[in-house]
Amino acid sequence: MGGEVAIRTEGLTKDYGESRGLFDLNLEVAAGETFGYLGPNGAGKTTTIRLLMDMIRPSGGWALVFDTDCQKRPVEVKRLIGYLPAEMPQWGGLRGREVVAYVGGLRGGIDSSRISNLTNRLDLDLGRRYREYSSGNKRKLGLLLAFMHRSRLLVLDEPTNGLDPLIQQEFNGMVAEATADGATVLISSHVLSEVERVCTRVAILKGGRLVRVASIADIHQLRFRRLEVDFVGAVPLEKVRSLVGVDQVVVEGHHLTCTVHGDFGPLLQLLGRSEVVNLTTHEPNLEEIFLPYFRDLAQQTPGSSS
Amino acid sequence: MTKELMGSGPSSRPGGTAVMARYGLRSHRWTFAAVALLGFIAPYSTGMAYAAAAGTEALRAALGRETVALGPQLAYLIPLPLHPETAAGYIWWKGVTWMTLVLAAWGLAAATGIIRNEEERGLTESWLSSPLGRVNLLLQRTGAFALIALAAVAITGLGTAAGVAAGRSSVGLLALVEQGSALLGICLVSFGVGLAAAQISATRRGGLMVGGLVLIACYVLDALARVNPSLAGWAVISPFHLADLTTAVVPEGQFNGAATISLYAIAVALVVIAAASFRRRDLYSALARWPARVRGVSREPSNNPLLRFPVLRELWEQRVGLAGWVLGSMVGAGLVVSLARGAGKLLRSSPSFSGYIRAAGTSSAATAVVSSIWLSIAAMIGAAYAIASVSHWASEDSGGRLEMEIAQPWPRWKLVLERGLALTAASFAMSALGSLVVGAVAPGQGVALSAGRLVVASLLLVLLTLTFGSLGALIIARFPRAAVPGLAFVALLSFYVPLLAPLFRWPAWVLNVSLFHLYGTPLTSGLYWTGIGIMAVIVVVGFTIAVVAMRVRDVGS
Repeated sequence: MGGEVAIRTEGLTKDYGESRGLFDLNLEVAAGETFGYLGPNGAGKTTTIRLLMDMIRPSGGWALVFDTDCQKRPVEVKRLIGYLPAEMPQWGGLRGREVVAYVGGLRGGIDSSRISNLTNRLDLDLGRRYREYSSGNKRKLGLLLAFMHRSRLLVLDEPTNGLDPLIQQEFNGMVAEATADGATVLISSHVLSEVERVCTRVAILKGGRLVRVASIADIHQLRFRRLEVDFVGAVPLEKVRSLVGVDQVVVEGHHLTCTVHGDFGPLLQLLGRSEVVNLTTHEPNLEEIFLPYFRDLAQQTPGSSS
Repeated sequence: MTKELMGSGPSSRPGGTAVMARYGLRSHRWTFAAVALLGFIAPYSTGMAYAAAAGTEALRAALGRETVALGPQLAYLIPLPLHPETAAGYIWWKGVTWMTLVLAAWGLAAATGIIRNEEERGLTESWLSSPLGRVNLLLQRTGAFALIALAAVAITGLGTAAGVAAGRSSVGLLALVEQGSALLGICLVSFGVGLAAAQISATRRGGLMVGGLVLIACYVLDALARVNPSLAGWAVISPFHLADLTTAVVPEGQFNGAATISLYAIAVALVVIAAASFRRRDLYSALARWPARVRGVSREPSNNPLLRFPVLRELWEQRVGLAGWVLGSMVGAGLVVSLARGAGKLLRSSPSFSGYIRAAGTSSAATAVVSSIWLSIAAMIGAAYAIASVSHWASEDSGGRLEMEIAQPWPRWKLVLERGLALTAASFAMSALGSLVVGAVAPGQGVALSAGRLVVASLLLVLLTLTFGSLGALIIARFPRAAVPGLAFVALLSFYVPLLAPLFRWPAWVLNVSLFHLYGTPLTSGLYWTGIGIMAVIVVVGFTIAVVAMRVRDVGS
């Protein structure tokens, strides 16, 4: 990978014992990239972020942010980062505007016009007490705190949790603008479709180990849909099985279930020649998409996954 | 525990209806331990002191006379003594009556915590999402607290019996049960007040304030009625007065059944009111809300400059609570100094109490009162404030606030330093303004005080508070959840070691375990340099280790 590197980790490990934590993470995120960090619950996403933020100390390896060591020079690193934690802290009876001033004070200054612009976009009332905020408004305040300093790197842990679709769209716009301004964005999530919309590359974690780093285009190749079809007559089982990209075919009476990779055309043509009463498709979850990787991982010895 | 509760509704499995009660028992275990410890030690150590001071019939009679003379001076705080020449009478007056206040404060704090703390943490919502009604939830928690309060009162009874035995006397089981029933009654009334107050306010702090004001008003009414007979008729509405009417452990004392039943009736009524309010109100809201003010939407950050500066932002955020602490210090200082002349006369006339004057290292009895009583109270206020601050630090850690602060370009050591400086500034405000009141009221009472010594005594109060704070910072760096109980234990130890050391003839160095002993009596007998040195070392070492620990520890994991 050429050009400036925003995040680089080498053998980064945080071992909590009992196979919990993060193990031997080697990762590079280029400057200006919007990078998705995907994995099921307990995969090690938040652990990675906390290591980058110097909240927790590694058991091994190192992490650099713009060539600055996260553990040796944490203050310089955090000067470069806008951070949204997975769970918002308890600010108690402080009003939103006081929280902004408080955090702004810790960073040494506030750009009021920037804050005004962001609060308008997020439709956030800073006059209310934090404890009165809904979970969505708390998340909006977290986004405001992360974005308000125009940081070079945005580290966002599950950023859209609790946001309504309109604000999610606004968030996507904010991320796009930040990257257009030259910022690098790291978004952790367990929802592939959410990351797909804004990211250029993704890393997949499972059980504390990096399973794969791929471009969104590569992910699309991996992607499949689950299909359910109810036929009036008999299911043309052999014809379905013979189609390229169709897998996991199961027939129960007149009901067919299968997965389809890539082009849907041949299957639709086949269905067009039959009498179909119902057709449903489902987006598979992250684990289903990466099941093959996860299976391989279970068979590998520790340390050989990445 | 929470997972268990959330995963399975309390009534969804056999025996599940008691889940909330079991959780209630568990949630009060630390405060129970502290109250029970105090409940045992207070009467027992008083019994030991009695045994040491009243070894002969003549000494017992003299102690009784002097205590009867001292009683009216303290009537604003506790009931008048009854048969203080006996071990049981002395223990009741000096050991058991104070437990009324401790149990009342515990009941109030526990109830507001159950309602508001757990609601703010989202626990109540989780529990109510299971097939558990609000009234059922409240009743189970009340039952659990009643059980645990009963255990604490029983231990107080044990301490009383042990204390009386140490005074070479005895007290009947029935008398202990009767006395205990009054103590339990006041504890449950305070719990009920807390439950009801927490329905009125949407925050725990608000609930504590409303409930605290109600209880203080009742307590003051009882106290005023003791010194002003014209108010005696009104005193019956005070639960503290109803509790005071039972003096069963005192020889020839009485058990006032009607008053005790009234206490339980009041407690039940308060729980019913609280339950009805809880059923009616919205979760996360007060029972009645002020109509929302029409105001525009705010999109701007606060212009408050205090929020932008270290230390000042901490103090500003705690301003309401801090104002209460400062006001409490000033009122306490004024009250003690205004009583100093009368108490001083008593001390001078009494052979037993003249030891206090000698111990204070002064020839002025009134000065001795200010030195030994006010500065002791001020030291305890400082310790309590340090514990409250450490509790705030611990909640910053567990509530994710520390994580957010560390995520900013702000070194970790500065956060520890900021906490220490905020504690210094707050304790300075408390001790300085308290001493200012002492300095202003003393001349009017004929109490001669050296201004220089008063200033030094005030500054040493700051050092003492910081010593507690540094120990808290030290514990919190490794065991955040143990910080408050750990520091409370240090405070209790510091309080009791100077009382118990002479009784058990412990070596002199043991006294230095007590932080209150290290403070000395700077107003009268000069500076205790060894103590000052030890406190300074604790502060420096404590905060240094806290800084180092904060730098290396994991946050938010």
